[in-house]
Amino acid sequence: MKRIKLLKFVFCFCLISTFDFLFSRAARAMHISEGILPFNWALLWFLIAVPFVAYGLYRLKKISNSDISFKPLVGLMAAVVFIISCMPIPVPTAGTCSHPCGTGISGILLGPAISILITAVALLIQALFLAHGGLSTWGADIVSMGVVGSFAGFLTFKALRLLKINLAVSAFFAGLFADWATYLATSVELTAGIKGSAPFLPLFWKIIVAFIPTQLPLGILEGAMTSGMIMLLYKKRPDLLIKMKVLKVTKAVVVFLSIFFISCFSLANAAEWPGVDETVVEKYAEEHGRAARAPLINTDQGDLLLFVFLLAGAIGGFVGGYYWRKLTEQKPK
Amino acid sequence: MHLFAEHFKREKSRIYTLDARVKLIFTLVLLAMVLSYNGFFFLLFILVASAAICLRLRLPLKVFLLRFCEPLFIAGILILLKFFFSGETSIFTLNFAGFKIIGYSEGLYEGLRIACRILAAVSIVAILGFTTLFTELIAALSWLKAPKGFIEILMFAYRYIFVLSDEAQVIYNAQKNRLGYSNVRRGLSSFGILSGSLVLKAFEHNQNLTVAMIQRGYDGNIPVLKHKPFKAHEIILSAATIALFAFIWKI
Repeated sequence: MKRIKLLKFVFCFCLISTFDFLFSRAARAMHISEGILPFNWALLWFLIAVPFVAYGLYRLKKISNSDISFKPLVGLMAAVVFIISCMPIPVPTAGTCSHPCGTGISGILLGPAISILITAVALLIQALFLAHGGLSTWGADIVSMGVVGSFAGFLTFKALRLLKINLAVSAFFAGLFADWATYLATSVELTAGIKGSAPFLPLFWKIIVAFIPTQLPLGILEGAMTSGMIMLLYKKRPDLLIKMKVLKVTKAVVVFLSIFFISCFSLANAAEWPGVDETVVEKYAEEHGRAARAPLINTDQGDLLLFVFLLAGAIGGFVGGYYWRKLTEQKPK
Repeated sequence: MHLFAEHFKREKSRIYTLDARVKLIFTLVLLAMVLSYNGFFFLLFILVASAAICLRLRLPLKVFLLRFCEPLFIAGILILLKFFFSGETSIFTLNFAGFKIIGYSEGLYEGLRIACRILAAVSIVAILGFTTLFTELIAALSWLKAPKGFIEILMFAYRYIFVLSDEAQVIYNAQKNRLGYSNVRRGLSSFGILSGSLVLKAFEHNQNLTVAMIQRGYDGNIPVLKHKPFKAHEIILSAATIALFAFIWKI
């Protein structure tokens, strides 16, 4: 009996070590590799990323109109993010190397909109010349690293500063959550892309569990790194932090944070709240003998609803893409 | 950092002189075909064709390995993941110390298909990266109506990747010589200082760069490389190749 238990332990250890070894190397890839996502998912993530990048370009145009040095600065920060995300750092618990995202720090310093743009640029160069990420997964990588990572870092930092938490601790948690949020989003994208006809959740948990050995400590390392960077800037060039409004919490951020947390709370309790249609419209319609009839086109068949959303997204994305030069470029004087 | 086509010795091959716009569009069309294909034949065809082109380019082996080791590893992992966790028809069942390991045929098929898709897609993009200069690629993106702000940021980033990576290497060597990475805690602190120093260097370079550029007439816009007119034979050849690929894709 004891021998079987020992054998089971040894087997489990070997299995976990192998799994960890394999996935920790995979996690080093950081971004979703070229070709993993099928066409429809690649297109969907790309269309989701487009408005965020467009907003980044709009902000860039707006700021660079009053500050001519802003575009070169954003380019330089893109180079910094590129280099940081190419640097391997040791992950002690996994016995391997991984690398940070760098989007937490760019989100804190330049704001999430510009940070998304920076990530898009760094990802494009990596996809074309390093086989790190890919052209087909560019949209998915922008969403996970750029959108989710930058917003998680920025919002965490601002929320903690609002609560008067000190600078180093706020930066640490911003880096930590930016990293973890990126991997959560990557896991969702990866699961959706490779699950095929299998159910979503079991595979999602397997991927999350596989990421944990590297990403749990790496998130902490990225938090420490972000904190170190902010403190170094604070000691050597506090004027830069003031210029970039890092130390200031604006009213817009407070309003945004309030809306964000209220939305999260509402979503968490959404199941308990019936909708207006159900409580008011349907009730009175039934009382007056006008019960709802069956829909002419029932979108609850197969993936019809998803297809319609995809179609609308594709049309919207095409129109947006076709006209966005008008939005982002300066008019000739 | 030998990442870009500028750093490779260019052999005499027509693919280098092909218009970057044609190459970019060709790559995007092929990528769409690869991603939307559900079998094996087309993917294997692309892989063989890409391998032949890569051999013809005679690039250093190290460059190849660097470019393909990561996708190969991910492809291998996905095969294992799908083989053991996805499917219904078991190929084999292994009982080991009370644990059941089952390999599924559907999972193996799906895993191999995804692996082929990854390798085919990576090889297509790798050929584009190997054979196109960065400046040509930027000009092609500009011709494809990519936003001007995005193009400018891409150019600034490209210009400063080499400068900042050299500086990062100098700081890293200095830290390493002073036992900055002798244990995890010191390593972490050193890495934080290294990253922070890079950001500081970026700000310093930004000030100098802006002053230098304004003195040379910078008004917020950078001109990009102008393309020569399309060559008819390049377009006809590319269209014919795409038609051939489309035919194989349809089979």
